[in-house]
Order: sequence, then structure tokens, then C-alpha cells
Amino acid sequence: MSTTTDTPPEAFSTDGWMRRFVESTRTAKGRLTALDQEVGDGDFGVNLSTGADSALRRLDAARAATAGGAAAGMDPAAPLEAAATAFLDEVGGTSGPLFGLLFQSLAAAVADAGGATTPALTAGVAEGLAAIRRVGDAAPGDKTLVDALHPAAEALRAAPVGTPPGRALALAADAAWTGVRGTARLRARRGRSSYLGERAEGVPDPGAVGVALLLASAQAVVDDPGDRLG
Amino acid sequence: MAAYFENGDGSLVPDALRGFARTHADLLTLDPDHGFLLARDPAPTRRVGLLSGGGSGHEPLHSGYVGRGMLDAACPGLVFASPHNRQVYEGSLAAARAEGVLHVVKNYTGDRINFGIAAERLAHRGVPCARVLVDDDLATDSADIVAGRRGTGGTVLVEKLLGAAADTGLGLAELQELGTRLAARCRTLAVASAAHTAPTTGRPAFVLDPEELEYGVGIHGERAPKTVPREPLGPLVERMATALLDAVAPAPGSPVIVLVNGLGAVTPLELYAVHAQLCALLDRRGVEPARSLVGEYVTALDMRGFSLTLLAADDRTLRLYDAPVRTAALHW
Repeated sequence: MSTTTDTPPEAFSTDGWMRRFVESTRTAKGRLTALDQEVGDGDFGVNLSTGADSALRRLDAARAATAGGAAAGMDPAAPLEAAATAFLDEVGGTSGPLFGLLFQSLAAAVADAGGATTPALTAGVAEGLAAIRRVGDAAPGDKTLVDALHPAAEALRAAPVGTPPGRALALAADAAWTGVRGTARLRARRGRSSYLGERAEGVPDPGAVGVALLLASAQAVVDDPGDRLG
Repeated sequence: MAAYFENGDGSLVPDALRGFARTHADLLTLDPDHGFLLARDPAPTRRVGLLSGGGSGHEPLHSGYVGRGMLDAACPGLVFASPHNRQVYEGSLAAARAEGVLHVVKNYTGDRINFGIAAERLAHRGVPCARVLVDDDLATDSADIVAGRRGTGGTVLVEKLLGAAADTGLGLAELQELGTRLAARCRTLAVASAAHTAPTTGRPAFVLDPEELEYGVGIHGERAPKTVPREPLGPLVERMATALLDAVAPAPGSPVIVLVNGLGAVTPLELYAVHAQLCALLDRRGVEPARSLVGEYVTALDMRGFSLTLLAADDRTLRLYDAPVRTAALHW
């Protein structure tokens, strides 16, 4: 199966990334719901997997619309656009649509770069973080998904020029998981868990977990593309 | 939960929207797939579309203000719940003009987030978008309240004045600047003698003693910062208006626009008596109530209460106020 001629050689499959993310949200749905029952209104696991399921339907449709139904021939921004629309249009609450904004920024950056390269990830995560902060008015330390996304963006920004995507994603995912563990020590200042005060202490923020799962999914696809390139 | 006349299947808001759109079919259309109302015949001079929205239960806000001279589109959420970002996004695409779309947003966290997500999507699509935040509620004016003052009755005045300004062909930045200035010159204070009936329980959202008033009440059944002993109308209105005048601080002899607003279950008889008391006080203070609206403009389901809004005006503001408007709830 040939790839599009202008895709940078180090780019990895965004279709594979999104499919891996859908799998990981399904696996984690129960645990995310349990976390959100501790610190929120308990709908985050369902919202995330609703968005992921809808994204999968859209990914399948996008694949079917590509000649030969091959992911390798797809516009690399298309799977991220599909996920953006799914999370923005079809998920209630606020965390799900905020993930949609992150996908939207990643799609724009991947489109600019011609593929999911390290510079595209760095730009997309930074712009996604900026958009989420503009909308939600949340800063690091407020016990929100920003506590995972901000350190991930910093890790990507600090990666030396030429860092391959697998290495950059490993750094970003590590930083995000460290951020997730940090949220367990925080008292919420934004979002629904802010009403719980000290009762939410000791529990990590489910939105932050979602961010870490997203980055870990990308890393997993780079490390093991498997048959996911279609 | 037989308190409200509804089917009980969650269809109250969509049912009401269909009825509203059919009643006012000459003014607007309903997009049932995306849940927004769109003006049929906005002024061709507009360069910027004007859109607002928020939870239902505050009728006629915002649907009643869609039409010539006011809003191009309104996005109603479920009762007391923010509209989804998709409604705002799709409504904005339909309402946007050559220079984009302006969102008028009441200051509530959910509304800010959902309108904000829609604005990010519009930017991604290359549609210029700006926001005017209305935060006129004096009762929530406190350094302790991180979320800031709530948006309430003043929203109607801001939407009317911005609509007239949009018809004169102002651009996006000019309209945003005007709207922000208008919102800053406008304050509201509300009082209730009985809470609204909570749709989920069929019971009052909170219970007051007959000798008590909730002073500084919100429009979603939030308790006020203060519960005060009931007092006759004259002293009550004087207390409220004095606080509003201190906050709005109109120059001596300058005009104000006055809104005496019923919150859902106060009679017109009472509202006009409130207006008379208010004007008597303004006359004594040398402030001219140059224009008045008296009636139900921003409600809180069936709350038994009223709000007072003062907006410090000037000649330009009064000209914008007097410009023709043709909507379901405001027309002259």
C-alpha cells in the first residue's frame, strides 16, 4: 500500500492513534466513571467513551471514503478532524467538548505539517492547551485536565529539534502521568469538583487521566504500528 | 412532579420552541436539528450577526428578542442549563454576516464555557467572533465570588441597544466595545417573596417564611446572600434603588434607562407600583428615568419576585433605545 508522497517519513498514523485511543477509553471507562463519581458527577467515563465511539464511526466512514478503504491513503488530519467533530458535537458536559478542541488543534497542526510529526504534535498540543485555557479559564493547579496537558506541552517544547515522534510522545506521556498523580494532591478550584473542597483530595482528576491516555495511545501506535496502517 | 403542565418526557423545551416558532413564524424560524431560532428578516445594513442564548425558564429571554432590530439568533438550553456548544456554533454560522458574529453571554460558568468552545470552533473555521459578557447582578458583586457577578435583567437592555447599533452597520470590534461599555454601566438587583417551583421535585426551590424576603436572589433558584424581614414596598424599593444608584453612579441630571422586571409570578399591578416608587426616588435624587420597561422580560420560571435594572444612559444610548424593534417580546 503506497503512502501519499508528501507525508514526512517520520510521521505516524493518526488513524491508528485515534483507534488506539478509542480502545483505551473503552478499557478505562469503568475506572474513569469511578474516579468521576468521587470528584464529579460520574458522567466522564460515559462521555469520553460516547465521544470515542462516535469518533470510531466517523473514522470508519472516513476510511470508507478513501480510495481502497486504506488508512495509509488518508489525509492525516482527517482522523483528528473526525474525532474533533465527534467530541465537540456529540458529547455533553464540558470535558468531552474540551477534548474536541484539543483534537481540532492537533488536526490543524498535522494539516500544516503534512503529517503527525514531532513539530506538529508540539504545535497542536500547545495550541490545544491554549484553547482549553481560554475557554475554561483553568490554570495549572486547578485540578483539571490542564494539569496533564500543560506538562505534556512543556515536555514536547523542551524536546530537542529532530526528536523522533516516539521519543517525544514518551516524554509527553510521562509528563502527563506525573501531572495526573499530582492532581490527586490538589484541591479543585475549577470545574465541578471545586464544590467538593477537601473531599476530592486524594483522587486524580479523570479529565487529566483522559489526556494521559490520549498521549499514551499515540506512543503505543508509534512503538507498535501493528496492522493499524491498513 | 405534577407541578408543570408538560408531558413529563423531557419534551417541554422542544415543545415550547415549536409552539413559539409557529406563533411567531413571521419573525423567525426554528432549526429543529441544531436547536436555534433565526431571525427571518434582519436589517440588510448589518455587518455583524448578533447571537445570544442560555438556559430555558427565563422566557421571553432570549427567544423573544429574535427579530428585526435585536438578535439574529438565539440558542436555548434546557431549563436553567447552558446551550450545547453545537447549538451556538451552528447558530453562529447561520447568523454570521460579512464581519462575523457577536455573542452576548450572561456570566455563568456553563454559558462561558459552551459559548467559548463555539467561539474556538468558529475561529478554526475562519469566522470572526467576539463576546460581550453581561454581568449586571449587584448581589454577586464581591471579591469572594471568583466567578464574578451573574448576568441577569440587564441582558435585555444590552441586547436591544446592541441590536440597534448593529443595524447602523457597526463592525465587530466597535460593537464589542459598545456592548462591554453598556454592560459596565448597568446593574440589577432582585428580590423574591417565594422561590420558583423546581421542575425536578415540584416543590419550591427554597422555602421562605411569609415575613421574609430573599434579597439579591438569582434567576435559577440560588439563595440570595441575604434573607431580610419583609417591609413595605416604598422602603424596599428605596433600599434596592439606592444600592443600584451607588453602583451605576449616573451624573446628576443625567438620564437612566429603567427596567422593572417580573420574575414569573408577580402581577402587573405590583410591577407598576414598583415603578412609581422607583421614579419617586429617582426624581428626589435628580436622576431622570428617561425610558422605562415594565413587565416580564427575564423570568425565573414562576418565582414570585421582581428585579430592578438601571442603565446609565446618554443621548446616543437613548437614540439606540428608541430605534425600531420588532420581536416577539419587544416591539416599537
